[in-house]
Amino acid sequence: MTHLNAVTFTILVVAFLLVTLVGFASARWRPAEDPMQLNEWGLGGRGFGTFVSWFLLGGDVYTAYTFIAVPALVYAAGAAGFYALSYTIMVFPIVFIFAPRLWSVARARGYVSPGEFVRGRYGSQGLGLAVAATGILATMPYIALQLVGIESVLTVMGIGSTSGNALIRDLPLIIAFAVVAAYTYLAGLRAPALIAFVKDILIYVTVIVAILYIPGRVGGWGHIFGAAAAHLKAVNPATGKPAGSIVVMPAGEWAYATLALGSALALFVYPHTVTGVFSAKRRDVIRRNAALLPAYTLILGLIALFGYMARAVPAVNAGVKAGGGNPQLSVPLLFERMFPSWFAGIGYSAIVIGALVPAAVMSIAAANLFTRTIYKELLKPDATPAQETRVAQVASLLMKVGALGFALELNRTFSINLQLLGGIWILQTFPAIVISLYTRWFHRFALIVGWASGMAYGSIQAYRTSGGGQAHFGASAAPVFGHSTYIAISALVLNLAVAALLTVVFRALGVQDGYDATKAADYTADFAPMPASAAWKRAPRHAAGSPREGAAGRGGPTRAGDAHPQVPEPGTPPAPRPATEPGRAPVSRAAAQPGGAPVSRPATETGASPASRPAAEPGTVPASRPAVPPDTPGVPRPGQPAGRPPAPRAAPPRETPPEDAPPPGRPARPPVPPPGVPPEGRPIPPRGKPLLREPEPTQPLPQEPRPPEPTPPRTGQRS
Amino acid sequence: MAQPASSGKSPATWGTVTVLLTVAIIGTLWVPIYARSLPKLGPFPFFYWFQLIWVPITAALCWISYRLVRNKPVPDTGSGDGGSGRK
Repeated sequence: MTHLNAVTFTILVVAFLLVTLVGFASARWRPAEDPMQLNEWGLGGRGFGTFVSWFLLGGDVYTAYTFIAVPALVYAAGAAGFYALSYTIMVFPIVFIFAPRLWSVARARGYVSPGEFVRGRYGSQGLGLAVAATGILATMPYIALQLVGIESVLTVMGIGSTSGNALIRDLPLIIAFAVVAAYTYLAGLRAPALIAFVKDILIYVTVIVAILYIPGRVGGWGHIFGAAAAHLKAVNPATGKPAGSIVVMPAGEWAYATLALGSALALFVYPHTVTGVFSAKRRDVIRRNAALLPAYTLILGLIALFGYMARAVPAVNAGVKAGGGNPQLSVPLLFERMFPSWFAGIGYSAIVIGALVPAAVMSIAAANLFTRTIYKELLKPDATPAQETRVAQVASLLMKVGALGFALELNRTFSINLQLLGGIWILQTFPAIVISLYTRWFHRFALIVGWASGMAYGSIQAYRTSGGGQAHFGASAAPVFGHSTYIAISALVLNLAVAALLTVVFRALGVQDGYDATKAADYTADFAPMPASAAWKRAPRHAAGSPREGAAGRGGPTRAGDAHPQVPEPGTPPAPRPATEPGRAPVSRAAAQPGGAPVSRPATETGASPASRPAAEPGTVPASRPAVPPDTPGVPRPGQPAGRPPAPRAAPPRETPPEDAPPPGRPARPPVPPPGVPPEGRPIPPRGKPLLREPEPTQPLPQEPRPPEPTPPRTGQRS
Repeated sequence: MAQPASSGKSPATWGTVTVLLTVAIIGTLWVPIYARSLPKLGPFPFFYWFQLIWVPITAALCWISYRLVRNKPVPDTGSGDGGSGRK
């Protein structure tokens, strides 16, 4: 494994060059009208349809490290490693349920990162900061692990590893990362989105060939499972226990299930996943992809089986031993031993390029978090979109440099430990990000304390866990009440318990709650894909009132400047988010229609079971509601018939649960924030695609054509 | 698609979707269901083929759910093109 195979090497280099080309070319793909919008650089203009999203999310979620580490775990420990399959199975129903709401609110409010959502939802800088910091902290080692994945390929190929000079040894890695950093800087999310095509095609080809070809060469599946079972049964003299088992033992079931569930929930709140979700063009894209992405899961399951195949090849076992007993070499070694050198080159390219896509998306996600939640929030509140974009570009570079430093300076074990911690940490943002999509019941300070206790407990518990020859960070599961449980899950339970308890306490004490910048309708808003004809037909009717609608109709993926379509309300310059802006009115109007079907909509839309609805209801209520003066419809809405009766703004019951009342201690706040200044006193420049309308009842902004009597819009539509 | 008015889907639709997705999640979350080696499918122990087969099952359940809850893309008011669209 020390001599360099010219053919393999050439193929890898060619593939890398191809991808580099694609990466730089992607800057011109779906060109933005105004590339200096964070939306463009950081989310690809929020214009990816089902097809592109499928590749991007697949390329993003199934990282190279997964492709190396999962079979490595299966190679070493057997069935326990298959939790990865189980987790990538259950993650999609979870995405199906939560992601559309997150997408909608982000789209409606122009959020580019989860930190902003939390900040807006709770009016809490601290909570937003906690979420952003956790995301960045958890992402950095994840990027570093992508490098570890590349490294294992390079080691097996004999590149660099033989040199005594540290710089030369690391040079290939440094070059690879510098190139990725360069095109990510230039093209933003478009680069990984386009490269993902190459990556995924290579991965699919490699895996399908491997699964059809290798078993025949090593004696069939029967032999593969036999060899694996024999190895796993053998008692390890060091521990006195068998290495693992071919089927999860009853004692390991709880750990297996919690690992799978915890990883699935964590995956959903990782910034890079959220970024992938936000870049979708429509709400539907996400749900459709929840059904289509399992194709990758199937591939992951097959890749996990590579671990057993590797076990059945004596030469691989010998190579792993020679490599210091590092099971992560097993898959690259398997390719080297089983494939002709040209195909091994393709397999290696798949892994290396597979590392670049997620690394790019992760650094972009972290940069988005930094820019919106830290830079804009704390350092330069009046940053222009162009400044934001520049800061994000630089931040993505810094993330890469940091990750490179991690991978090169700290040893591999440390990166892996941190990654383990990262999974635990990121799950602690779950209540703030995901539960907030349904309810705002939790008090912001309670969530912060809950988060802190989950972080502390998880870190300490992980530190104290020994295993695999390590005194600390030895395993991701630790016993809780006698059951070995994934630490992230036990920390999450603690987190939730603390948050719930303190919420009750803080409410009882009357501790001031934050201002909710989101509205119930935001969570179901859609950027409805309407046929251009329909858009144009309608456009003239309320052209003045909402040019956004027109824009929405032809809404190219490339539409730049989310801010532009925003309609400035007379005298209200860059429309402050709060509910007074005209384009929003129809939504609330529909919601308020007495007896209209829409009243129940937000609840039914949630994806939550009907049973859970009541619990979710009160929280969906935007605390901002009272800030809406009942007479906003009086604000002249261009194009609205003068005689139109004011919308029944008096919120229907569901919109005014008790805690909806302006929090005590806030009365000083003017009911309607002065133009341009949101309640927090921070100027909100117009950002984000504002124009979203509610998918359901009000779809087309049923302004004029609507009969004055409050017909449920639906019936109106059908007629 | 039998969808009620595309605004709020009926509670029955949401109930169905909830059940479908719960089944999808429980399928692999409830480990004792499949933590066994028999019956084998060819050389594959049950533990492996069950999970591999569960992948397309989950995909199908998600797809059905998607078809049930998706909104009619054409949201129209009144005019004749109300029902057409990407359907």
